[in-house]
Amino acid sequence: MDGGGGGGGMGGACYVYPGAPATPGLVTADVTYDLGIDMQIPLTMDDGNTVNMWGFSDGGGNMGGMGGGGGGMGGGTFPSPAMRMRQGQIVHTNLSVDMMMMHTVHHHGIEPADHSDGVGHITWDVANGTYTYQWRPAQAGTYFYHCHTNTVLHAEMGMYGALIVDPPEGPGTLFSGGPTYDVEAFWVVDEIDSSWHTLPWTAGTCGGDVGLNNLNPDYFVITGVDGSGNSAMDLAPISATVQRGQKLLARYICAGYHPQRIRFGGLTGKIYASDGRPLPNPVSVTEIRAGSAERYDIIFEPTTRGEYIIETDIIHWVTGNVLGTTRTNIIVT
Amino acid sequence: MKRRDFLKAGTAGLAGSVLGSVGLIAWTPRAHAATITKTFYITDGFITQPDGVNVYFRGFSPSSSSLAVPGAQLVAQEGDTVRITIVNRLNTSHSFKIDGVVDSGRISGGQTRTIEFQANNAGTYLYYDARNAPYNRLVGLHGGFAVMPNGSSNEVYAGSPTFVQQYFWVFHDIDPVWHNAIRNGNTPNTSYTPRYFTLNGLSARPPGAPGAHDPAVDAMADPLSALHGHVGDRTLLRVLNPGMCQQSVHTHGNHMEWLTDNGQVRDDVWSKDCIYLEGNMGKFDAIYPYEPPPDAWPPVTTGAYPMHLHTEMSQTAGGGLYMFGALTDIYFE
Repeated sequence: MDGGGGGGGMGGACYVYPGAPATPGLVTADVTYDLGIDMQIPLTMDDGNTVNMWGFSDGGGNMGGMGGGGGGMGGGTFPSPAMRMRQGQIVHTNLSVDMMMMHTVHHHGIEPADHSDGVGHITWDVANGTYTYQWRPAQAGTYFYHCHTNTVLHAEMGMYGALIVDPPEGPGTLFSGGPTYDVEAFWVVDEIDSSWHTLPWTAGTCGGDVGLNNLNPDYFVITGVDGSGNSAMDLAPISATVQRGQKLLARYICAGYHPQRIRFGGLTGKIYASDGRPLPNPVSVTEIRAGSAERYDIIFEPTTRGEYIIETDIIHWVTGNVLGTTRTNIIVT
Repeated sequence: MKRRDFLKAGTAGLAGSVLGSVGLIAWTPRAHAATITKTFYITDGFITQPDGVNVYFRGFSPSSSSLAVPGAQLVAQEGDTVRITIVNRLNTSHSFKIDGVVDSGRISGGQTRTIEFQANNAGTYLYYDARNAPYNRLVGLHGGFAVMPNGSSNEVYAGSPTFVQQYFWVFHDIDPVWHNAIRNGNTPNTSYTPRYFTLNGLSARPPGAPGAHDPAVDAMADPLSALHGHVGDRTLLRVLNPGMCQQSVHTHGNHMEWLTDNGQVRDDVWSKDCIYLEGNMGKFDAIYPYEPPPDAWPPVTTGAYPMHLHTEMSQTAGGGLYMFGALTDIYFE
């Protein structure tokens, strides 16, 4: 869509490519997600401060309609609502955005036709309408979805959610032929630079220094909860309680931009899959270093009663200094 | 300002490519070892960044009157003798080093030095100026060097998964304050804050931007950076990071087969949509398999997708200008 954007115009946005055309090859879906936009999601931190987040709202549907709509008002959560379907199902993600702004949905790790990939400069940024992303996941595993418009800002603002593809046999099996599990935990670790959280959706797109090269986080969250203190302790499905003999599947998503190191508090886990793909051979680990947007699926089979603290360090991408740490726990009974 | 050395002069008169670029010129294995010669001129100058700021660089350049950042891609074959002549056109001391292979030692201002070494171990290497580390490397004195396995045209190392074509992706991050200090003969004394991010020396220019589609300035149009292929055109990515930032390299359309990590052949090949790239000369090799995007419905075999760093700060220039950073496009033709 060359030249669809360009400099100037569009409410102060540059190099955006507005559109919401009909989806090529549209067929009846097995699973449908209707997403709207919510630009006012207050997130209260352990220190009592509130940071404004952006996100997708569930049941977006018609513009300005119920459940938040595309109007940037209400209905959203941080993280955005999880998507969960089975391998081989045809999925529609209907994104509704009003005329005042632009967003997309990129289903990260899902590899659809380019018109359903949600990358503005290759296709379009959804504006003033509803666009249907159509795709059919071929491989069970852990993915996530996020906005890909002015991504550096929009994903940092919280416009992402988990995307879980179950195998045809359903939850309880990681992938066909892979391990089963009894309990599931979701560790979506992210950092927040609150100084970015008063910027408009267009920030920086026409030029000017708005600081998007320099992410200096002051809050550290796990699956939508301030993780620096005790808020994510004993809080399923971030934390988990497992009986000896049971198997826990932890789905870890590095949702931030700085690198991370996750430590399992004395437990040893087995990585069975990463980035939605089974490993040729599972790998036993007590910690994992991860880069932005990597996912790891780890099975724990704990044998000793106790509380195990799962800590994730967020590490500066240049200095290697630990900027902050999130904590949750596994209780083995 | 000439930004690129396609090594046409260096390979003129030779059958196939003895010391050839990749991405443009297919590699042709030879039955016998060759002696390869190449001359680099250490030069300096300014390169205009996407926000119009001119930043000082030094490079391993093809002539006294040019500036190349990074230096030309070099490819040899196991057993070859490589003879490199360095003409230092500056009045500062520099060097030419490939870790574990060769180190010229100090080449004083105005001096010329010829070094000779055997290309013994197949793999992907960074050549760089190791003096005044890391500053001379950061200010632009670096480039990619590859050794092909003896007699092989399609392996990274003997017995590796095979490829059809190969590219270097040299990622870099730039703090203009540091570059200016180096220009003035000072040791940078500020905290490193990169403001520009490049792939093979170029930032991207989204459609509609000045310079978009110009291969001299737009990393998305650069034939050495953008991937072009048909289904089945398995493409080797030789990924190098002379910069300071840890990065996460993310491809759309296909997962990558992750073969090596910092020069070590991995125990298993993992299929990844994000691969962790260490700062300070981290590197990996991966194959982009050019399989039909697996989650498309209806199925497709053509399309366009981005490759970008998911460390999204690196997608900006001058603190804003999303999509003017280190990214390119992948074309299924």
